Amino acid sequence: QDKIIIKFSHVVAPDTPKGKAAARFEELAELYTNGAVDIEVYPNSQLYKDKEEMEALQLGAVQMLAPSLAKFGPLGVREFEVFDLPFIFADYDALRKVTQGEVGAGLLAKLEDKGISGLAYWDNGFKIMSANSPLKSPDDFLGLKMRIQSSKVIEAYMNKLGAVPQVMAFSEVYQALQTGVVDGTENPPSNMYTQKMNEVQDHATVSNHGYLGYAVIVNKQFWDGLPEDVRVGLDKAMLEATEYANSIAKDDNDQALAAMEAAGTTEFYTLTDEERAAWMEALAPVNEEMAERIGAETIAAVEAAVSQ
Amino acid sequence: MTALIIFAILAILLVTGMPVSIALGLTVFTFLFGFSDVPMDAIALKLFTGIEKFEIMAIPFFILAGNFLTHGGVARRMIRFASSMVGHWYGGLGIASVLSCALFAAISGSSPATVMAVGSILLPAMVRQGYPPQFGVGTITSSGGLGILIPPSIVMVMYAVATSGMVVTGPDGGPVMSASIGDLFMAGVIPGLMLATMLGGTTMWRAWKKGYPRMPRAPMIDRWKAFRESVWGLMLIVIIMGGIYGGIFTPTEAAAVSAVYAFIVAVYVYKDIKLSDVPKVLLNSAAMSAMLLYIITNAVMFAFILTSEQIPQGLSAWIVELGLGKVGFLLVVNILLLAIGMVMEPSAIVLIMAPILYPVAMALGVDPIHFGIILVVNMEIGLCTPPVGLNLYVASSLSKLGLTDVTKATWPWLLTMLTFLMLVTYIPEITLLLPRLMGM
Amino acid sequence: MLRLLDRLEEVLIATLIAVATVLIFLAVTHRFAIGFAADLVGFARAREMTGLADFARSMFMFVNSLKMTWAQEACIYLFVWMAKFGAAYGVRTGIHVGVDILAERLTGNKRRAITTIAMSGGILFTAILTWIGTDFVYHVRNGGQTSPDLEMPMWIIYLAVPLGSALMCFRFVQALHLFLTTGEIAHHDHGSVDGLDEEAEDLAKGGHA
Ligand code: NA
Ligand code: NA
Repeated sequence: QDKIIIKFSHVVAPDTPKGKAAARFEELAELYTNGAVDIEVYPNSQLYKDKEEMEALQLGAVQMLAPSLAKFGPLGVREFEVFDLPFIFADYDALRKVTQGEVGAGLLAKLEDKGISGLAYWDNGFKIMSANSPLKSPDDFLGLKMRIQSSKVIEAYMNKLGAVPQVMAFSEVYQALQTGVVDGTENPPSNMYTQKMNEVQDHATVSNHGYLGYAVIVNKQFWDGLPEDVRVGLDKAMLEATEYANSIAKDDNDQALAAMEAAGTTEFYTLTDEERAAWMEALAPVNEEMAERIGAETIAAVEAAVSQ
Repeated sequence: MTALIIFAILAILLVTGMPVSIALGLTVFTFLFGFSDVPMDAIALKLFTGIEKFEIMAIPFFILAGNFLTHGGVARRMIRFASSMVGHWYGGLGIASVLSCALFAAISGSSPATVMAVGSILLPAMVRQGYPPQFGVGTITSSGGLGILIPPSIVMVMYAVATSGMVVTGPDGGPVMSASIGDLFMAGVIPGLMLATMLGGTTMWRAWKKGYPRMPRAPMIDRWKAFRESVWGLMLIVIIMGGIYGGIFTPTEAAAVSAVYAFIVAVYVYKDIKLSDVPKVLLNSAAMSAMLLYIITNAVMFAFILTSEQIPQGLSAWIVELGLGKVGFLLVVNILLLAIGMVMEPSAIVLIMAPILYPVAMALGVDPIHFGIILVVNMEIGLCTPPVGLNLYVASSLSKLGLTDVTKATWPWLLTMLTFLMLVTYIPEITLLLPRLMGM
Repeated sequence: MLRLLDRLEEVLIATLIAVATVLIFLAVTHRFAIGFAADLVGFARAREMTGLADFARSMFMFVNSLKMTWAQEACIYLFVWMAKFGAAYGVRTGIHVGVDILAERLTGNKRRAITTIAMSGGILFTAILTWIGTDFVYHVRNGGQTSPDLEMPMWIIYLAVPLGSALMCFRFVQALHLFLTTGEIAHHDHGSVDGLDEEAEDLAKGGHA
């Protein structure tokens, strides 16, 4: 009997947390389905680039992806932009209450209309701010040109801080920071480290102001067409792979932060409680501004879940 | 085997003389229908997203900037400045034409246009001063190649575009960051000046041997006047390089700003172009850009097929296993590129060959910027080698000499360029010194 | 009718490149102005010049209230459209480069045959693209994707592929028809430079060097 082939495409290197988790899933899935399934992992945008993969999945050219959560807004499911809101998750515990609870499941269910089934949330991490000047109070952002990825929510909170958000291709960021076309940016520590941005940023504040994560998704038609026992095996594999993904993502960020501190090119600053409160106060209006886009009930549901 | 099939289809289609872009696209479709199970939908995507990168948009902007300033009037100002500076040296107008080409190269990303602009004014002047036409033809055909080595350079943008986003590993197994457009432009400066000097040296030496006429030394005031006239055009390169390294804009933005600057200079300062001629310049630039973007789209699709058939990976493994090493590999690359350069156009070659050769070069520890410059120098030589060499064609139509005569006339300078290629290939410092000094 | 199509094609692509250039120029100017205003605020604050600081601050607020984050995305899409329609225009004017050494050397029927094959290749390729492109646009339309910055429906942007390819196909048919009836092939001179005649005249009068 022919094996069921699942092409799992992603845009990062195999030795990143997402890449390792994909490999772990491949191993577990083949084990738990007794070899009925053959997972083919394509890392490094080998098949499809960031901008293409969602369409590739909908067309059925690949079966599985793990895109950044920011990709679902443009897909028409703006509720996912709730993950971009500043300070919405105090820590990983608060985050888990959403991603492993009803609210998270409800969000994934909204993808069904788009021909997509959501299986799990994988972490990248919490973002820190960096620039060439110290960033202690919101006032320190006034006039700073901050590189962001395309997102209305991120644009809104950068504006609130008085910064000037600049959308810029990822490949141009390093040189733009080096020459001063932009003054700063935001990243989880691991991304900042692998892109060597600590070499060209004098200051960074471990603000953990925003979350960056992925959702593992599959082509719905393909998924629903799988034999029941195969799907059970895959679900089990995904559950374990998710646990693994989230544990190594946290380690990876911690290690990257330690390595950058050791490198000494960037001065890292941790906010005091008062300073953090000042940031949160400055950014509080963003939730309201974005309520119309994201949906007030979604924001309320997330806020309720994290405060449980 | 798969590789053979793909390249055989491509070669057959190319020989019919159909546009390179179409041949690339049809190769992909033929291969898909006949030999592969990659779904058609998977390919369709690439047609849409192949050029959706802001870096690629530098190409139309640089073409537009170049077209505003690729004008006889601008060429004349460059030539006047060049001959006032070096016309009294051995080689007189010959050496002035090398310098003119170098100056013109700093505003234009195109080599044939450089040959046309400088040649059409200087060739008749040289003949009138008693130089044999072959001498002028040789100088200008070869110096015209500087257009793609001295920034701005479309071919460099093509290389950056073709390799950026490719995740490749170095000899130590770690990831290699690809070369940015800014890096490549900076890296082209010293090789560009060096080649200009070497071509100038060859010109001088031959002129001295044959006793060709020199010009009287121009008085300081004339030099100053000529400089002031040409400086508006030359500011373009200052804006581009200064803007990128001064942190004012990214390379693509620099290209857009330089297009606006070129428009202002051409229409309001030099008044070479009337406002009513601007739509024509826009149309020509749009058409030229569209042609290149069309090649890129299809080359991306072609590269996708190669990658999904694991061809670059296989080639890479094979060459590493052969144990050629860096030295041997680069020699093979040069021979291969010179051979292809005889029959094809630079941008298509870079788009097709860079994704194939780049992973191997990185695995052997070649610097990505250095490798890019090696490619560009090869392309430059390709423009001057028969049977297909745009610089030769232009020089032939200008001088009314046949293609064979033009090729013969260009030989001494072509040898100089080959020597230069060897130097650039095996002394990476020539390329990397300036980018490193700039802290890249 | 055909003349109108020709003209529309030309106006469209020339306008697209002009708009994209101006747009990016404005985006750069905008960012520069913001940086300048912010520096001015800092400068005035450091020297306790409250009047200047207030002025700079309101200037900063005003410039910053104009949003240009969508400029890059808009530029890309303008050029995607320019590329697809410009490629069609390019067929009409013979700008697409090919390896024509063999065709150039052949004469009579052989030349006629090889050129017909080359042009039919163009017709075939663009026809396939029109078909795949239409299908793709239909899928994307059902998917409901929008672009991240402008939030424009992606299917409208992608419409450039089937429309541009259809026009290009038509241009190839025209070119083949022209070749078979008159033997003419459009050919663009890649080394052309304007304003050389004036310079030659100038030279004849002993005007320089
Ligand atoms: Na140039
Ligand atoms: Na050649």
